[in-house]
Amino acid sequence: MRSNHITQYLVSRVRICYHDDGDFFDGNEGHQTILKERTGLKVTFKDVTLSYDGKIDTLKHLNFEIPDGSLVSLLGPSGGGKTTTLNLISGLLPATSGHIYFGDEDVTKKDALARKVGMVFQNYSLYPHLSVRDNIAFPLKMQHVSRKERYAKAEELAKLVHVDDQLDKKPGELSGGQQQRVAIARALAKSPSLLLLDEPLSNLDARLRIEMRQEIRRIQRETGVTTIFVTHDQDEALHISDNIMVLSFGKIQQFSAPDDLYERPSNLFVAKFIGEPVINTLPAETLKADLQGHVPDEIFAKAVTAGLRSEALVPFDNGQGILTTFHATLAYKQKYGREATAALNYNGQTLLSTEMAGLPADQKEGDFFITKAGFFLFDEAGALIFGGEAHDQ
Amino acid sequence: MINEKPTIKSTLKALLYLLPMLVVTITFSIWPIISSFMMSFYTKYDYYNDKVSAIGFDNFVTLWQDPEFHLAVRNTLIFVVGVVPITVILSLIIALLLNQIKWLSGFFRTVYFLPFVTSTVAIAMVWNWIYHSDYGLMNYFLGLVGIHPINWLTDPNYSLLALIIMSIWKNLGFNIILFLVGLNNIDKHYYQAAEIDGANSWQRFWNVTIPLLSPITFLVSVNGVIGSFKVFDQVYALFGGQPGPAKADLTIVYYLFEKFYTENKYTLAAASGVFLFFLILLVTLVQMWYSRKHVHY
Repeated sequence: MRSNHITQYLVSRVRICYHDDGDFFDGNEGHQTILKERTGLKVTFKDVTLSYDGKIDTLKHLNFEIPDGSLVSLLGPSGGGKTTTLNLISGLLPATSGHIYFGDEDVTKKDALARKVGMVFQNYSLYPHLSVRDNIAFPLKMQHVSRKERYAKAEELAKLVHVDDQLDKKPGELSGGQQQRVAIARALAKSPSLLLLDEPLSNLDARLRIEMRQEIRRIQRETGVTTIFVTHDQDEALHISDNIMVLSFGKIQQFSAPDDLYERPSNLFVAKFIGEPVINTLPAETLKADLQGHVPDEIFAKAVTAGLRSEALVPFDNGQGILTTFHATLAYKQKYGREATAALNYNGQTLLSTEMAGLPADQKEGDFFITKAGFFLFDEAGALIFGGEAHDQ
Repeated sequence: MINEKPTIKSTLKALLYLLPMLVVTITFSIWPIISSFMMSFYTKYDYYNDKVSAIGFDNFVTLWQDPEFHLAVRNTLIFVVGVVPITVILSLIIALLLNQIKWLSGFFRTVYFLPFVTSTVAIAMVWNWIYHSDYGLMNYFLGLVGIHPINWLTDPNYSLLALIIMSIWKNLGFNIILFLVGLNNIDKHYYQAAEIDGANSWQRFWNVTIPLLSPITFLVSVNGVIGSFKVFDQVYALFGGQPGPAKADLTIVYYLFEKFYTENKYTLAAASGVFLFFLILLVTLVQMWYSRKHVHY
């Protein structure tokens, strides 16, 4: 086990303990020197707008604060502004207007060179002509650190990311996962207070992707560096982050903890974007008869769209807070591995449920239940006006 | 078909397909090389009846003892050393500048490329005028900074320099194009990564541009060395069929030309050709050896 002060440091830094690996204390020793140098850094955006061509705003009036020492994912569809936001933080792109702060320092006018962040690119961008050792030591070479010192540091970092047996190889001889580890080590070499990762896992195969996201989580916990992680994969974001920022149409749709994102989506876009299978949506009007008396009338009057998570449609009262019942016919049932989905026909709408496994095989229609958790009403603008209770399972 | 073992029949079939190309190559490339190699060892030779009465190393001994040949080798080496490094560095600098400006870059590219498509004779005529001791542009500009007129083409001390300057200018265009292609092939992400890694623009140039451009630099320099060793037409055109004042611009190929066409010493010409072949081979091998360590593909 590593020394106590690090554990304390991590506990004080990590606010939301959301992890799926459980073995990030893997008994590696000797990283203390790397850890000691590091402090997280708070990142603040104040009314930041970015326009590439001076006409269309790619990012519109962004305001957020990323707490120091946390791991935040920027999640959203392609073209939503994730990478643009990351490049604004790194300084590779200058903001059109607004202010960016690292800690209390205004860095808006500083370029990437002066901001001194660490960054892992989507294609890793390892220098093809340098060995792994020289790649990791490159940022230190730029600071004119002596060869002996920077190689010692490179070896230490290579141990941290588990590529210490590949130091003399060229990047071209490494597998995708190894290249990614080297890229992380290089980004950490200058002991940045801020580590930026731009879709670092998108070039890896599915199994390696899961392994590497746990690795990134482990490295982030071990070093305590504030980490910002861009991804379009919600599963990745949900598993790795302390907080998730959903970006779309150049705006922050929601910025909250992973559970909140799922249980209390602030608008229809987030509700649809997060969750697999995709949330059932139907015009609120079709549910009017069944919701009478269960939803306050003045709220229902404003509701335009209803959203029902597939697990909110259950065949029995499971004692977890039932909102209402509804009558529907069963269209079909399918089973994939441990997942079973069923489609229900209700008032001319098709609703997908993942909770119908316990339904008798011959039952083709009946009264079903909607749980309070996983039921949402959205107004005309798409904002959440009802629902969002915690899933208490 | 693909994993078939080669048989006599299949090999003959393949040869039949290759025959047209082989005939052309053997007649016009392989045979002349072999025959000139052989000719360099003929010591008593009747060129018109192709009769060889004696063979030996006499031609090479003659070359070894000929002060004129020494002069030709010396001039050629000075020419190569003067032209190649400056051409490589200058064309890289111009390519970098052209890569920076978007405005008029197409125009400048054309301007620099023009010498490459223009005939050497035409270029030599223009430079003949530039180098003119009384009316030349060169002396005019030198006069502006207070330097006395130089007899570029008639003073043996300056005529080789005049040849070098003209050749550098002529070579620039094509090399600039090659460097521009190389620069455009460098992934922009490497520059972003280097900037993030704290490399200032000078460090980015030395640690990203130079190493990633090394295959092109290698190509340009090997090409330049071979081309410069073979220099002849620039000399012939610039000095009106003379190897410069007091043979100050006599190169190996010019020596070969004189021996063959003017003095009819065919075997000596062949021997100097063989010498040039091995000289170029040696220098190219040194470059190849150097590239193993310093060129990154």
